Amino acid sequence: MIPLVASVSVRNKKSRGFRLWIPLALVWLLLLPVALLLLPVVFVACLVGRSDPFQALSALWQILSALKGSDIAFDDERASVLIHVF
Amino acid sequence: MSDRMDILQMLSEGKITADEAERLIAALEKEQPASAGGNSETGSKAKPKYLRVVVDSQHSYGNHGPTSVNIRVPMQLLRAGVKLASLIPAQAREQVNDAMREKGVAFDLSQIKPENLEEMIDQLNDLTIDVDESRGQTKVKVFCE
Repeated sequence: MIPLVASVSVRNKKSRGFRLWIPLALVWLLLLPVALLLLPVVFVACLVGRSDPFQALSALWQILSALKGSDIAFDDERASVLIHVF
Repeated sequence: MSDRMDILQMLSEGKITADEAERLIAALEKEQPASAGGNSETGSKAKPKYLRVVVDSQHSYGNHGPTSVNIRVPMQLLRAGVKLASLIPAQAREQVNDAMREKGVAFDLSQIKPENLEEMIDQLNDLTIDVDESRGQTKVKVFCE
């Protein structure tokens, strides 16, 4: 299952921070037409590179699914940013 | 245990050769950890789920002061990445290998195969990499959890 929500939390040491919830489900829906348009290009690129296009698509899907649980935290003197993929 | 005794019994009776007995015992030993793993986790360590990279830098970039970066990557992402890397065309792979060699990293990308990955991830369980810069201003820690 691909991640459906991500949160970006920004905290400024001097002022109040905020947390942004990103509905990735909507992002995927918006990207779906683009992905469908790019599908023939990916197929041709795979055939030219002598790779299996179905395996490539499966690997891409697995990468998207594996993003769940990823955490990136960045912290310095002034601010901290935390990105979490649910 | 009785299976092993049966094999040794057959060997002593001359029904099987020492070679065959060795192969049977090896097959038996392979089977045992797999079946024991489902019952309890006490014998074996739990598989790592995440790879964590922590960077602590005392360097000041502009007016920003000390910086720390903490990244947690699911192991599943490693698996998927290796699968994708195995699909890279041979010609492109060679170019990547050459570029890495130029940078002093003698590494063959084609050696990372999905079938070797599980063994590699098992070994990562005990892995901790600590890098301290000579002046002690930057610390990098890579470990599994």
